Amino acid sequence: MYETSYHRADSVADAASKIGDEGKYLAGGMTLLPTMKQRLAAPDTLVDLTHIGDLKGVSVNGKEVRIGAMTTHAEVNGDAALQSACPSLAKLAGGIGDPAVRHRGTIGGSIANHDPAADYPAAMLALNATIHTDSREISADDFFSGMFETALNEGEIVTAISFTAPDKGAYEKFRNPASRYAMAGVFVADHGGDVRVGVSGAYSNGASRNSEMETALSGNLSADALDGVAVDAGDMLSDIHGSSDYRAHLVKVMAKRAVAAM
Amino acid sequence: MASHLDSNVIPPSRQRETPRAGLTWIGQSMKRVEDPRILSGKGGYIDDVKVPGMAHAAMVSSPHAHARIVSIDTSKAEELPGVIGVYTGEDVATVVDPCPSFASPPVTQHAMAIDKVRHVGEVVAAVVAEDRYIAEDAAALIEVEWDVLPAMVDIEASLEAMGDGVLHPDDRESNKALDESFEFGPVSEDFDAADRIIKRRLRWNRSSAQAIETCGVISQWDAFKGGYTIHANTNFYNFIPFVIGGSLRVSPGEMRIIPVLTGGSFGSKVFIHKIIIMTSALSRLSGVPVKYIEDRLEHFTNSDSHGSDRLYDAELAINDDGTFKSLRFTVLDDYGAYLQFGVGTHGNAMAQVTGPYQIGSFGMRVIAVLTNKTQQGPYRGFGSEVTNWVMERMADAAAEELGRDPLELREQNMIQPDQFPYMIPTGNIYDSGNFQKVLGEAKSLFDLDAWRKKAADMRAEGRCVGIGVATCMERSVYGPTEWWSLNNKETPGFTLTSTPEGISARIDPSGKLFVTLHSPMVGNSPETVVTQILAERLTVAPEDVVINYSDSQSGFNGVGPQGSRFTAMVAGACVSAAIKLEERLKRFGAHMLQRRPEDMELRDGKVAVKGLKDQETSFADIALNSSFFRLSFPDGEEFDSGLETTAVYDHPLSTDPHEDREHLGIFYPIVGHICHIVAVEVDPGTGKVEMLDYAAVHDNGTIVNPRTLAGQVWGGTANGIGTTLSEQFNYDESGQFVNPNFAEFAMPTANEMPRNFKLGHVETPSPYTEYGIKGGGEGGRLGAPSALTSAVEDALQNYGVKISALPITPPVLRGLIREAEQAA
Repeated sequence: MYETSYHRADSVADAASKIGDEGKYLAGGMTLLPTMKQRLAAPDTLVDLTHIGDLKGVSVNGKEVRIGAMTTHAEVNGDAALQSACPSLAKLAGGIGDPAVRHRGTIGGSIANHDPAADYPAAMLALNATIHTDSREISADDFFSGMFETALNEGEIVTAISFTAPDKGAYEKFRNPASRYAMAGVFVADHGGDVRVGVSGAYSNGASRNSEMETALSGNLSADALDGVAVDAGDMLSDIHGSSDYRAHLVKVMAKRAVAAM
Repeated sequence: MASHLDSNVIPPSRQRETPRAGLTWIGQSMKRVEDPRILSGKGGYIDDVKVPGMAHAAMVSSPHAHARIVSIDTSKAEELPGVIGVYTGEDVATVVDPCPSFASPPVTQHAMAIDKVRHVGEVVAAVVAEDRYIAEDAAALIEVEWDVLPAMVDIEASLEAMGDGVLHPDDRESNKALDESFEFGPVSEDFDAADRIIKRRLRWNRSSAQAIETCGVISQWDAFKGGYTIHANTNFYNFIPFVIGGSLRVSPGEMRIIPVLTGGSFGSKVFIHKIIIMTSALSRLSGVPVKYIEDRLEHFTNSDSHGSDRLYDAELAINDDGTFKSLRFTVLDDYGAYLQFGVGTHGNAMAQVTGPYQIGSFGMRVIAVLTNKTQQGPYRGFGSEVTNWVMERMADAAAEELGRDPLELREQNMIQPDQFPYMIPTGNIYDSGNFQKVLGEAKSLFDLDAWRKKAADMRAEGRCVGIGVATCMERSVYGPTEWWSLNNKETPGFTLTSTPEGISARIDPSGKLFVTLHSPMVGNSPETVVTQILAERLTVAPEDVVINYSDSQSGFNGVGPQGSRFTAMVAGACVSAAIKLEERLKRFGAHMLQRRPEDMELRDGKVAVKGLKDQETSFADIALNSSFFRLSFPDGEEFDSGLETTAVYDHPLSTDPHEDREHLGIFYPIVGHICHIVAVEVDPGTGKVEMLDYAAVHDNGTIVNPRTLAGQVWGGTANGIGTTLSEQFNYDESGQFVNPNFAEFAMPTANEMPRNFKLGHVETPSPYTEYGIKGGGEGGRLGAPSALTSAVEDALQNYGVKISALPITPPVLRGLIREAEQAA
């Protein structure tokens, strides 16, 4: 790691004023810090967002859910109101990484990083979530623009995510045997018969929806409904852990299992 | 009838302590005496060691698999403040010579590459600087110009390579490093006479152990004495000076190698001679002590400890009644860019190549291939894990072709309890065993009959559930001939030592027993087992035994933990030392009690008159008197001051290979037996394997400490599970090592271990070692791959899937299932 200066922000405005040209916002640091240790990133300033009270916590009002960006995976997993309103998301959070990761990593950090194999992005797409920043609101569909790329502008801070809880939802993933990240993570959410399917880990452009599956499932929410759907391997990642054909196959298998679990 | 084995005569046993019931300390699950200081962070690993004035090295490694070094520009690095010196392979070669090689003829390897690199990660330059940060920054400023050569990646293609594809054109015209054929017994006749020949092509891919700690060295050149002081986490510190003295251009005695606690080896730290040589050269060139600790990437790509990488064409000759007659195979082994140990890993496998079965003859052609990959080195099993798997695959294949129950077929061919010592066709013996008993225990521990019914029921529900059984050998206490017996017959190489192990022991005037070991602690339990054995033999309390380690100048014979030898060998040294100490204790004690030595016995840390309760004197009193009050005793050398001794135990049972290699002699005779039974479920949608139940029964002879042995078995099984299901080093077509990190190399964690691992033991003592102890450091990995492979094949019986290559990762299995689905 190269030398860097650290600033603990006490408000969003304070954070934005400190970031400078070569700084980086620090959330849980689950990706940024290892990258810095390997000298692959060398920000001159780290602005720590995790102590800003406004960015933390889960609030549930009927079916309306809002989660502060600096809420940890463990907090999302353990929130009783969320477990009742949207158990699928709480369960997803409980399956991210390991206990240490879940107590440091945050939802805002995860989606802002948009690791293609992270779990939350699939959920944001399927839940039709809104990403709140310090300057605007962005729909999940517009937010995830490519592998490790988002619609965020330079210096823009994710403050929260919000969504209307679906009638039902489920997330199933197949873990990479080495990294344990998702090789195919599929979140299926039923919004009053309108089904959305978000996929992490498999697509080469990052988290994506699968419209063929959505069409097949809307109106017939059963695993069998997916039998006739062909998942196009052409859009999929291919590496030593699995070819694009294997990933395409996994997406379908995970989608069917998610539907079966709903 | 004359046999090729007639000239291989089994020497008589030299056992002094017979196996017996009623031992006090041997057999107890005593807590490890090593643990308190390790668990409290006070162990002292290589990276904890700091030497005054110490500088740090960072390396520049090759990004290419095969390339000529056109030029190296070190000027920018040299200008960086804090840099002490920048050195290339040519600089290093001014003070050291090439690395030792056991290959015949040798394959030249420089500790730091000169002219040419032959694998990704090979070091071409180093920076020595005030700290590692500066060293790494400077290393990044070194510019190397490369002339990239064709990369040899495929085992079979590399054999055909010509011109620039030849790795060592100065030494060899092709990439075939060795090609030797052997016949042990009437192989051709047995094959001609057999009813059937079972044939399989089997592939075992490379991986390696990844200990938590990488390899590391601190070396200090002493310009005045002309030698080196070296801290290193090698397994082999009392032996390595003799291996590397030539390379370092000093006599072995001019090297002082100081051992450190080692954070895991599994074979990977047996020698580490290359980085000792390289770091020593850097110290000599820079004039300061230099520390070099491999980072994880360097450990993956340059630590010369990759495991076996083999392609077998195997044939088993059988009769229709199920009798195994003969085994033969041709094996190509991808050794990578160099050949440090020759084909020692195949020599090792000759110890038990025919498994627990009565097979009359065995033939082999072994072809060692050089490719542009990191070279092979030791990994738990040292090649025998592969032949165990091949033998068990062939047994399963035979059962399938005959329509027989695989377990019953194995039992039919097993060596019987009254046939020991049993000489296998290669000439090695199995000293003792009761394979039927081990199998029986395993069946009962696993509840095999119930599981078979349950698995059938689950399969009837459409689930892919199967059971696999492996009955394998675990050779232990290696003899040195394994290193060279398969070498080119015209130039076999060398005869090594008897692989001895020694200790020194002293009872001080406080009554404590101070013991010095000559082998390091590598995550095994040397202090615990020595404490238990000496407490047993000398009747002292374990808390009165204090263990220390020598360095290579104060120490003597010690070969260290490898080849599942340490406990059995050090037990011999402990017994020898105890015999010598006992004699002196009795002599002094008898004089103090005014008795004859032959009237005395050892009793609870005292010398006592046999049969008399109060006539005794403590070891402490004897030591005090013998150490400080010499004049209280008679004249004569036998009463010289002090109670101390040294003892060395040589290999208990070995014979030389036959000159014409009709047999290989006895070289690995202390054999354990293992039976693993596992039930798995395969998820046909993903190809993922889940272990539902696992039982392992090991026979390692007399057990010194069940707790530490269990740790070895569990750990070895974890290694074996990784080898079978997930671990593989991937090289792409250009020779890039694609996954040298834990995000990409799929090593299993606790999450992947079977939830309910059941461990059982049978104790068939060795007639040749003290107390009947056998080694047990590798067995888990020697058995798990065979059992798991069989279980997966059984689970996929409805698809007709056959497993002929490891690892069986989820995409591999899913691919096999898909092929079967498409064929159906």
